[in-house]
Amino acid sequence: MDFSIRAANLDDCKDIARMIMVSGHVRACVRPNLEQDGFSKNPFFHGIIAEVPEQHRTREGHTKIGYALYFYSYSSFVGRSIYMEDLYVMPEFRGKGVGKALMSKVAQLALAAGCHQLNFTVLDWNKPSMDFYLSQGCFNVTSSLGCHCMRCEGEALEHLAQP
Amino acid sequence: MNFKIRRAAKEDCKDISRMIMELAVYEKMPDQVKISHEELERDGFCQNPFFECLVAEVPEEHKSNEGFTIIGYALYFYTYSTWKGRAVYVEDLYVMPEFRGNGIGTGLLSKAAEIGKKKQCVRLQLSVLNWNTPSRDFYAGKGAQDLTVTEGWHTIRFDGQNLDKLANEAPKD
Repeated sequence: MDFSIRAANLDDCKDIARMIMVSGHVRACVRPNLEQDGFSKNPFFHGIIAEVPEQHRTREGHTKIGYALYFYSYSSFVGRSIYMEDLYVMPEFRGKGVGKALMSKVAQLALAAGCHQLNFTVLDWNKPSMDFYLSQGCFNVTSSLGCHCMRCEGEALEHLAQP
Repeated sequence: MNFKIRRAAKEDCKDISRMIMELAVYEKMPDQVKISHEELERDGFCQNPFFECLVAEVPEEHKSNEGFTIIGYALYFYTYSTWKGRAVYVEDLYVMPEFRGNGIGTGLLSKAAEIGKKKQCVRLQLSVLNWNTPSRDFYAGKGAQDLTVTEGWHTIRFDGQNLDKLANEAPKD
């Protein structure tokens, strides 16, 4: 199947938001302000889009059928790193190399920016995704090193942020 | 104990690098540190920095046994959740052993949270090693949830040759 991968621009935000909202793992949430957070002077993220030609558009007429969202991070041990926040391909376009192409593009961008690691998170029960990633040569930092992901939000964060 | 939390300056990178190595030793990974103060200076103090840093400083009369007054740091950067928006990630939080128990770790973490809040961040995230009970207790005491335990989140990484191989497979432009 013919598809292309390119950098996301401001006009893509509606399609990215559409795909975020229909992602199987997302419950009802407020649409994030992608335009402001991804396309202003100091963006919080960058995006890449997978697009198919018109003749392969979805029933609803969409040609933007996958995306990856990433941002630069830092390891005090190895330096510049990249974090892939989202990787998504619409169900009807899976199994055609689109997800792999998006992830490879993020890896390519990582190396071009002098990054030494590409990190992301996966739910341990998500076997198809876990198998896919492990087959691509990554390693599970949580299983091998015992690294746990921690979060402070809501009231706990308010309390912590008090000077 | 009298101490001050402030934004790191470029000149602090040698001290930060020293403490990164101390943290690596504590985490039983001293051979994993590949960068020095030079990369910190380049990446933290450029036009679009990869990270921000806070340092904890004590007055001369409280300097460490080796004579250091920069005795703790927090290194953090901004991240994004497509579900919730802006967040701050604390990559490192470290206080030299002889200065622990004086609220310095809390001071550094709180300052990072305050800075994040000013930028409309709605989450503060970090990682902790499962055997590191003092740190796990510290963060639990601040109301942090362990997402690996409660929701099954695992951190996955590509580096070295695996990262090169993945990048080589990217579609040509």
